Amino acid sequence: MNEILTQEKSIYLQISEMIENDILRDIILEEEKVPSTNELAKLYAINPATAAKGVNILVDAAVLYKKRGIGMFVAKGAKEKITERRKKDFAADYIKRLVEEAGSLGITQEEIFAMIKGEYKNE
Amino acid sequence: MSKLECRGIGKKYGKKEALQQIDLTIESGKIYGLIGRNGAGKTTLLSIMAAQNPASQGMVMLDGENIWENQKALGNICFSREISPASGKNGIGSLRIKEYLKAAAIYLPKWDAQMAGHLIEMFALNPKQRMSKISKGMLSMVTIIVAMASKAEYTFLDEPVTGLDAVMRERFYQILLDEYADTGRTFVISTHIIEEAANIFEEVILLKKGCFFIKENTQHLMERALHISGRTEQVGEAVEGLVVCQEEIMGRSKGVTVLLEEGQTVKTGFEVTVQPVSLQNLFVALCGKED
Repeated sequence: MNEILTQEKSIYLQISEMIENDILRDIILEEEKVPSTNELAKLYAINPATAAKGVNILVDAAVLYKKRGIGMFVAKGAKEKITERRKKDFAADYIKRLVEEAGSLGITQEEIFAMIKGEYKNE
Repeated sequence: MSKLECRGIGKKYGKKEALQQIDLTIESGKIYGLIGRNGAGKTTLLSIMAAQNPASQGMVMLDGENIWENQKALGNICFSREISPASGKNGIGSLRIKEYLKAAAIYLPKWDAQMAGHLIEMFALNPKQRMSKISKGMLSMVTIIVAMASKAEYTFLDEPVTGLDAVMRERFYQILLDEYADTGRTFVISTHIIEEAANIFEEVILLKKGCFFIKENTQHLMERALHISGRTEQVGEAVEGLVVCQEEIMGRSKGVTVLLEEGQTVKTGFEVTVQPVSLQNLFVALCGKED
């Protein structure tokens, strides 16, 4: 929740990603209330409508749910849902970019595999 | 190489200490950004460095010579003050723009009238207008013209972009960079619009409550500054032993701004987000909790 907003991406996407990160890191637990759009707006100095847009993405994805008159809460199983979706996005977000950059540098498949293996050994 | 040195500069206005023990060296051929909160002493420092204001303590030396009442040294220094829109019908306010510039030309031995004329056109100013009748932005343009056309080796600008629209601010930065490329003059520029000027400053000078706080290469300073966020305990462990400038806590979440010392790194292996910090964010982290 304390990350800094950057210029590289739409603000509302960053808001929804930050809430997701907090759920994955157990900063906000399941069935706990997330900050209200007004609180988010004040924290990041952004327009409340933008904050609401970020929150609503997560409501549509059933990561958050609304308790009428009380606020937004983290749904049961939200953590798994986020992990599942991010796994699906992993290929598009990371692998595609990796292969493209490797291609432009003339790095072969075998070399990539070797690098990845090497990185796992370092861990 | 030429340099301008402040040695132990202090300034008292009545009981209030505006500046304390400032030791600062301005090397020629650089563009410096002078930043600090309202009332930090930026204008006082610039006016003392241009001998327009006597220091209570210490002295300012240009290549080893005290600049106070030293006409030869002062010929190389120009401090283009901010002109208050409230300067009224008497004094500065009653002058036309061209009269004000004429007065400046008398005091500044290297005055470039051709450049002044060119800048008047560039800023689309009417030189016949009276200073009391023009807008805040236009007053800033006049101070910019004085600074640029002074051709002084050491040129100080006090909040030159106040009141300027985004197009004119860009134009000012272009003019500044053109002049710098042509002549290699030294500029010290105070500003509150930190973000857009950050890339122009080779070095940043940060004043905090009348004290000299940081003077460092801008890029180097930015590389040392990081923001780390995540679960409170994880963040705490990742930044152990580092200089924390600011921290904010929200529930189980924590964000801290750190300034790495030589050879330090953020510890890896923790679930934290590490992000670069803009000069403006760093400024807020360093100066935000004074009051």
